[in-house]
This record gives sequence, structure tokens and C-alpha cells, in this order.
Amino acid sequence: MTKLRCLAIILMMPFLSIGQAKKPTLMVVPSDLWCKEYGYLTEFNNQGTKVLIPDYKKALQEDANLILVISKINELMADRGFPLKNLESILKSLENQSAEDALLMSSEGAEINENPIDKLKKVAKADIIIQMTYTIKSVGPKNTVTFNLQGIDSYTNKQIAGSSGTGAPSFTAEIPVLLAEAVVANIDLYNVQLQNHFDDMFENGREVILRVLTWNNWAHNLESEDFGGDMLSNIIENWVHENTVKNRFSTLDATENMMVFEQVRIPLFNEKGQATDTRRWAFNLKKYLMDKFQIESKLMMKGLGQAQLVLGDK
Amino acid sequence: MKTSTTYIHVFLLLILGFNIGYGQGKRKNDANTHAWKYEIEGIGTGVQGSYQVKIWSIGSSQEAVIEQAKKNAVHAIIFKGFPDNNRVKGQKPLATNPNLEQEQLAFFDEFFLNGGKYLKFVSLLANGSILPEDRIKLGKSEYKIGVIVSVNSAELRRDLENAGIIKGLTTGF
Repeated sequence: MTKLRCLAIILMMPFLSIGQAKKPTLMVVPSDLWCKEYGYLTEFNNQGTKVLIPDYKKALQEDANLILVISKINELMADRGFPLKNLESILKSLENQSAEDALLMSSEGAEINENPIDKLKKVAKADIIIQMTYTIKSVGPKNTVTFNLQGIDSYTNKQIAGSSGTGAPSFTAEIPVLLAEAVVANIDLYNVQLQNHFDDMFENGREVILRVLTWNNWAHNLESEDFGGDMLSNIIENWVHENTVKNRFSTLDATENMMVFEQVRIPLFNEKGQATDTRRWAFNLKKYLMDKFQIESKLMMKGLGQAQLVLGDK
Repeated sequence: MKTSTTYIHVFLLLILGFNIGYGQGKRKNDANTHAWKYEIEGIGTGVQGSYQVKIWSIGSSQEAVIEQAKKNAVHAIIFKGFPDNNRVKGQKPLATNPNLEQEQLAFFDEFFLNGGKYLKFVSLLANGSILPEDRIKLGKSEYKIGVIVSVNSAELRRDLENAGIIKGLTTGF
């Protein structure tokens, strides 16, 4: 009987997963301001321009308070059923992966294909980045901690949750204690806003960006009327209109060579009830243009919430 | 014989009087429960997953107010939240739906019964001792008293999520 039950559960597993949206991933990252304040910025020469970029690896290796704060936030979020991606582990695994890829060779001596774009994309990613800043002020024996948590949606770069404040000054408590207290005091408020963001997402869809570009060797452009008499840009706009939740989107820019759609609300599930994401949603546009108008295109993802479709070639 | 009958009558009258008085006090406390007449202020960050708050409640006696304060504190954490108080961070209510109490009336009626489940999530701080300035006499038999309690908000949230009363952060994923 028990075996039969187990078998039934195993057989039901694929159906149980239907109707569950893809769970967003979250990761805590120290803000640029924090990195500057504590001296964890490195100078990088970007084609003659000096750019300061945060050195997370150094910060995580040297700052015990940072580890404490990240671990406290992770602990509290895991308690709410949202274990976070760990920045330190991700940085390590990216390094290991690069080293392994560099050494990988087929039996006939071929190496792994990696173009400059692939290299650029090898960064720590999460759907929502929890940007954290704290400052410690000491006046005589009195310490105060000012704490700020900002939840940034990687899809839209909008701040979707936040909580900040300055704790009560203390003569006796040590800095790590004050920091832990600040995390505890702020995390619930942060989560209330995160919950509101998720509620909005379930009701109005996930907000993403779609860019449509053209290759310069293509014989047509977005103003061509060779596709059923209507302008290609109108055809694309109509498709976006029909495939967004409550037809919500805004056309930010439209020229003969490119179109940018912002605040595009894509459904969390496809017509079969399966969880979907930006790439899959944009792939439907690619397929539509190919099936109906024989337009070849290349689909690329920029970040997690930005799809880029380049028309005219693969 | 006559004397003993008189004693019995006096005794019965005393019991009746006590019951009427007790009943009135109880009715008043029950009325206070349903009116949810209280004020709340945050007084400190508690241990992880708990809030320390001072609840100002009105009642006929100190004992009645202390019991009422526990109910009020849990009610406040679920439905009201509390504002920032100097450097003490305020918190939003656990319920994001403002009509939740009416929509789940049967659940919360049982939850807030005298000796009900709410007691699992609240405890008195400093053994329920009340500072002199936190005890205000409003009328002949009416007091407004500030009681400091700790509410285990993490457990309370988990319990309400498991009962399907409020949504969890992972609901739908």
C-alpha cells in the first residue's frame, strides 16, 4: 500500500509543479557606498577611462562585520522560506568554473567555445539584489549604527523594497551586536514590501524590457511594409499588446532600426500553465516572426529581465 | 431558626451581588476585547523574531487589564503594527489585507477567546510589574494601564501562514 502511495506521488510530481511560478533568487551584496567607505573599491582602466569597481572578494575576505551582516540576513530570510544565494560562494564557483573551462579539452584537442560576450556575462546574478549599507558612528564611548537595505529588481533596476533607520545609541553593546540588532529591526519591514512586490507580480505579471534591433546586413528594417502590408514595427507592437498581462507595456523608443519596450508585464505562466520567464516569452515572438513572416532573428538575454531580439540573421 | 434563615438570605444576597459585579466586569472586559480599545508603542528590539511593546489598555482592575493587554498586543501585531518610537523601529502589521479580521471572523473569535491560542505568542516582561506612571485612573472603577509585553511575531506569523490566514513570502512559488 505504502509503495503504491509513493508511486502515485512520484507520478504526480510533474503535475504538482504546474501552477508554481519560478521562485525568484535573492542575493545580498554590499553597496558601492559601503565599498567606498571601507576601502573596497579597485581602479579599473576601461579603454583610457578610470572606473572604480567594488572588490567584493577582498571585502568578504577581510571584513568580519560584513560576513556577520550577510549571514544574519541569510539566516532570517531562510527562516521565511527564502534561502539566499551566497555572494562569497558564487564568486568562488565562478572562479573555479573559469579555471575548469580554461583547462577543458576534448579528445581531439578542441577547447570550450567562449566569445567576449560570454565572458562578460559571467557575473554573480540573482533576480533580486539586496543592496546593503551600514555606517557606524562613534562619539566617545557611544556607538550608533545606521542601516539601509534596498531590494533592487534585476529585471527592471527598480527598487522594489527597502528599509532603513538609525538604531538607538549604545555605550555598552559591541558593534557586531548593534549590527545584528539593526538587521533584525529592519528585515520584517523589508519583507512586507517584498511581499507586496510578489503580490503585484502575481496579479499584473513580471515586469521586463524587450529590445528589438536589426542587423546592418538585413534587406529590411522596422519600417518595412513587406510583411502583409503593415509596418513591421506595428506587427511587433501588436504581438506585444496581445501577449502581455492586461496589455500592459509602453513603447519607449521606435525607429527604423530599433524598438524598446519598457514596463512589459509578461505572464508568470504560459497557456499550458507552466512557469515561464523572459527568454521563453521573447522566444515566442522570435517563433512568431519566423513562422509567419520567415524573419530570421537572434535572441539574446541581457541580465535576467531584458530580452534582445536582433532581426535579419541568426 | 429565624436567625439562621436570615444568615442564609444574607449569604445568598452576597453571592448574587458578587456574581453581578463579576459578570459586569467580565462583560466590560469582553466588550473591550471586541472594541479593541488600546494604544501601542514599540519599546525595543526584542530577541530575534519578537517585538517588545507597551500596550495601553482600559479595564476595571489591574488583573483584567493585564490579561486584556496580552490579547491587545497580539491583535496589534496582526492588524495594526506600530509606529517608530524615537530610535525604536516601527513595524507593519502581519496582515496586509485590511479586511482580514472581518473575512476570518470565526477564526479570530476562537483565536482571541479567553485562554485562547493567542497566549502562545505573548509573554509579560518584568513579571507584569507596572510602573507608577503607567497606571492612570480614569473613573470610579476604570483604569488605563501600560503593560510591557513581548510578542513572538515569527511564531505568530508561521502559525497564521500554516492556518492559511495570511500569505507567506513563498506563497505561489
